[in-house]
Amino acid sequence: MKIEVLYPEICNLYGDLANIRYLKECVPEAEIVNTPLQKKPLFLDEKVDLVYMGTTTEQGQMLALDQLRFYREEIFRKIDEGVNFLITGNAMELFGKSIEEDGEEVCRGLGVFPGIARRSSVNRFNSLFLGTFTPDEADSGAKAGEGAEAGTIRIAGFKSQFGFTFGEESDTQLDSLALFRPQRGPGMNRYAAGEGIRINNFFATYVIGPLLILNPPFTKWFIREKLGTPVESLAYEKAAMDSYTERIAEYEDPKTGLYYWGGTTEKWQE
Amino acid sequence: MKKLRFYLAVWCAKLSIIALKLTGHKGTNFPGRVVLKICPDFLRLAKGPGKILGVTGTNGKTTVCNLLISMLKADGKKILDNNAGSNTITGLCTAFIRDMRLSGKFRSDAAVLEIDERSSRVVFPMMAPDFLLINNLTRDSIMRNGHPEYISRILTMSMPEKTHLILNGDDLIASGVAPVNKRTYFGIDSLEGDVKECINLVNDLQICPKCHSLLEYTNRRYHHIGKAFCPECGFHSPECAYSGRNVDYKDMTIEIAHNGESRRYRLLNDSVFNIYNVVAVVAYMGELGYSPERIEELLEKVEIVGSRFGVEELDGYKIIRQMSKDRNALGSSRAFDYVSGLPGDKELILMMNNLSDAEVWSENVCWLYDCDFEFLNRDNIRNIIVTGPRARDYYLRLKMAGIDDSRISFVHDELDSPRALRLYEGESIYVLYGTDSIELAEKVADGVKRKIAERSRG
Repeated sequence: MKIEVLYPEICNLYGDLANIRYLKECVPEAEIVNTPLQKKPLFLDEKVDLVYMGTTTEQGQMLALDQLRFYREEIFRKIDEGVNFLITGNAMELFGKSIEEDGEEVCRGLGVFPGIARRSSVNRFNSLFLGTFTPDEADSGAKAGEGAEAGTIRIAGFKSQFGFTFGEESDTQLDSLALFRPQRGPGMNRYAAGEGIRINNFFATYVIGPLLILNPPFTKWFIREKLGTPVESLAYEKAAMDSYTERIAEYEDPKTGLYYWGGTTEKWQE
Repeated sequence: MKKLRFYLAVWCAKLSIIALKLTGHKGTNFPGRVVLKICPDFLRLAKGPGKILGVTGTNGKTTVCNLLISMLKADGKKILDNNAGSNTITGLCTAFIRDMRLSGKFRSDAAVLEIDERSSRVVFPMMAPDFLLINNLTRDSIMRNGHPEYISRILTMSMPEKTHLILNGDDLIASGVAPVNKRTYFGIDSLEGDVKECINLVNDLQICPKCHSLLEYTNRRYHHIGKAFCPECGFHSPECAYSGRNVDYKDMTIEIAHNGESRRYRLLNDSVFNIYNVVAVVAYMGELGYSPERIEELLEKVEIVGSRFGVEELDGYKIIRQMSKDRNALGSSRAFDYVSGLPGDKELILMMNNLSDAEVWSENVCWLYDCDFEFLNRDNIRNIIVTGPRARDYYLRLKMAGIDDSRISFVHDELDSPRALRLYEGESIYVLYGTDSIELAEKVADGVKRKIAERSRG
């Protein structure tokens, strides 16, 4: 199995690269290929089982887009062909239509989905996230193992970002492409009914955690169903499940606040 | 009208200080809040006492401020500081109010202010420091500070023109702040243990700020701190006006060269963080016009004091309380690296949970995966007790760091954690606690002492 990590020298914030370290521990035979900014992404020319890209800085977004723009059509083709992508944090914004800062467009995105990222140059938005993931219809919920209920998998994680993504025309455009359904905490924006984007095997989400470490049932499903590796158990599965179970219970508790304002005196301006 | 509001604010805030005293409340920031409510541009109107000397950055602000204050006071200066309060605008206003007479005039000759780097956006438009030292810009709280590039941008956007910057030249993020401002760099030429490749999980400056090619390092201390250059465009770390070198760990001194003259200065601690703090404060004093001889003399007179570090000995065991900033991957990595590198057996109680977060929501633990828990995977760390609200997350993270189950103990309640100590003869017991757990850490340390006493009684 080959996993390509795009631009790890700049897309490395908020512990996101640990998603890949964890995958490597779960599937030791996986080969990790790090592609720096100066290189053409491997997945464009070779079979790669997963393309991963994590959270980056605002300048990092521009630098990554400067590279990816060259390959826009090929990226569309690879998504159509069903190549697996996992894009976390604000790296997702690169695949939308455009990014705006304080009401001004700062760059055009790749246009994989009809979303506009609107961010503030100053304020940060923090929250917890609790939601569900529904595996493909072809998969049985049981394949997800422990943590799956009625064919869905519970997802827990964090959001820590400068902005949200809105539908180009309306949020329903994004809702129909949602990767997760929020139960508590915001989706793509505070009013959206969906979180993240799923187009074929292109999975993108604002949820960080790291996502794969905090969500062992989802990770097991992902490795088995998307990466095609029939793992019996995940690395440190018991410890991961104990932490996951406690977190889900904590987030379900109505006493647990979902939004974090403690670090800032400014309120988020929609 | 503005003047009237200013004086009204001063008098009301002064009254609030008396009221707080009478009612037995601490309220360290309350007078500042009163002032800002009545007179939002109080800092602008107050102007400040003589010179305003600022210190900002991610790590080491408090230590550098304490050193600077002690040295200036030892030189007979009357110094206003915000040691007792916060480093945000309300804390600065409180410090000003405490120093002011009812006439609005200051008692002190100068102000040494620790300034929260993110607050610079609201502070600097109203109060321009004459000098501002930036010790480093590294990852801090994800929720509040995002990433160092964001903080660097805030500082650059809000930096007053007149401010003379004193910058860590070994930190290419800090040294790039406000490029048009007058600046002086300090740094360390080489240190024992310097490496070329990054051994940390976090490396926030991997590409050249000019051409975006991969940077290389000749002398790397930790993370992105060290001497870097770009093999493609020739960009490199700036030349430092104050350069540390030849650390003598026996004598606890460092040689610092400036203007072609070298002198040895006393170190207060052998951690890399604290070596940088001494070089920083020597550079600061030098830029204030003090001679190397006088700086050396004044440095001899100061000590690092405070609640962040405490050592006690009992029946052959050392009990060390050490603050290891929660939600700050780099700060905790440095603490882990330092503690694990010390000789002798040890047990650790990890309780760096953020307790105020735990009260209102659930702590964001992303930072655990930026933090080098791998440093704790050493044979002389014989037992690590994970405890507190996020104990299960710590347990999982330690497992990912390759630490065997036999060397991890899980105790949910911090106060129960000493019960899991194994007490190997002659060992050191470290209580690593977060920023809002000082009192709890003291109680846990008391529990450790009780456990040792029970063992000694047999």
